[in-house]
Amino acid sequence: MRRSVLISSLGAALVLGMGALGAGRQRFELSVQQKPETAEVKIDNFSFGPATLTVPVGTTVSWTNRDDIPHTVVSTDGVFKSKVLDTDEKFSFTFSKAGGYPYFCSIHPKMTGKVVVQ
Amino acid sequence: MSKHEGEKMAGKVKDELLHDHNHDGIDRRGFLKCMAWAGTGAFCVMQGGVLKSYSLSRLPKLGPKEAMGELSFVQISDSHMGFNKPANPDVAGTLKAAVEKINNLSAAPEFMLHTGDISHLSKPEEFDTVDQILKSAKPKDVFYVPGEHDVLNDDGKQFLERYGKSSKGAGWYSFDKKGVHFVGLVNVMNLKAGGLGTLGHEQLEWLEDDVKHLKHSTPMVVFAHIPLWSVYPEWGWGTEDSAQALAYLKKFGSVTVLNGHIHQTMQKVEGNVTFHTAASTAFPQPQPGKADSPGPMKVPAEQLKSVLGITDVNYVQGQHALAVVDSSLA
Repeated sequence: MRRSVLISSLGAALVLGMGALGAGRQRFELSVQQKPETAEVKIDNFSFGPATLTVPVGTTVSWTNRDDIPHTVVSTDGVFKSKVLDTDEKFSFTFSKAGGYPYFCSIHPKMTGKVVVQ
Repeated sequence: MSKHEGEKMAGKVKDELLHDHNHDGIDRRGFLKCMAWAGTGAFCVMQGGVLKSYSLSRLPKLGPKEAMGELSFVQISDSHMGFNKPANPDVAGTLKAAVEKINNLSAAPEFMLHTGDISHLSKPEEFDTVDQILKSAKPKDVFYVPGEHDVLNDDGKQFLERYGKSSKGAGWYSFDKKGVHFVGLVNVMNLKAGGLGTLGHEQLEWLEDDVKHLKHSTPMVVFAHIPLWSVYPEWGWGTEDSAQALAYLKKFGSVTVLNGHIHQTMQKVEGNVTFHTAASTAFPQPQPGKADSPGPMKVPAEQLKSVLGITDVNYVQGQHALAVVDSSLA
């Protein structure tokens, strides 16, 4: 127990040290550029799947309409709003702030979904 | 209507349905909810609170008095011009077939109502195509209300420019024809997450004002895209604040409500109000809850025209209600 506490403290000190030198931050930015976080929501049978999607900050979420009927993706709080998506059309939005983002289809308002950004 | 109820109804009454709203009858809840699939169709007359409906197969046996009236008009709906998926790759062709059907009606309709979803994606060329096809219809006047597909991307600006120049608000208006008062309502704007169709405060106030000076004996026809009764809220087939609108119409002896949106014919009678939805001229949708979603239903090509249709409405002076006849394009 005592040893593990010591190890994690050491680890924290190391990270802090690297952060102070700026190395850690640089490496983090580099990894974002190389592997941007993405996630997908599919619109099928008049529903968003998954209905609730949880993603890290910085993730770009894309919605693809797989129905024979057009749909939209509209944030309930006015944060994002797609144009009308016909069959196989796509809309993407990058979430740069943590929070809950409820949305719906403004043509078929019974269709609702949520993106949780952590 | 469940399959069981449907069978019961069909078994009991065969071709003719007689519904007595004031007493017991066939429907203990005091209303009739009858779905007439396009291709079968129904002809309905109500006198003194008693509704008689006949299947279309019996129509030739009806006298001209029942089938004709002082005023005849036709309702078409959901032409979805621009739709090109397997459920109907030729929506222009089926709209033309609908016009042909209208032009061959025995009692020539004086005008047409289009209850929305004229276009599929609100594209100018889609509206242009519909306008062009409807030009070949004998009735020259068309009264429109928008469907949700007609107001995409621009909050209905284009729709208003094309069809709603003399209307109020988002496109609502009223007019009179041969003593019948017609009200076109808009319930496809500003829809809220999780909700149904909406009329909104401003339109409801206008409606209250529009009808308050009318005599109780004035026959009323109200038309809007999304049903003004709760057909199937799970699929959004209803209007949040329709009860308020209907409250303003309560004093009238005869109210006929005509809607589209659900791409199938359905009817319900509640007191003096007859609700009716028209078939689409483009593609059918499933019965409420009978599929995973209300999306377009693919039927074999040779059956398509039997599930599309038009609605012919006749008003006979002195009768309580308007006669509503659905006929398929087959």
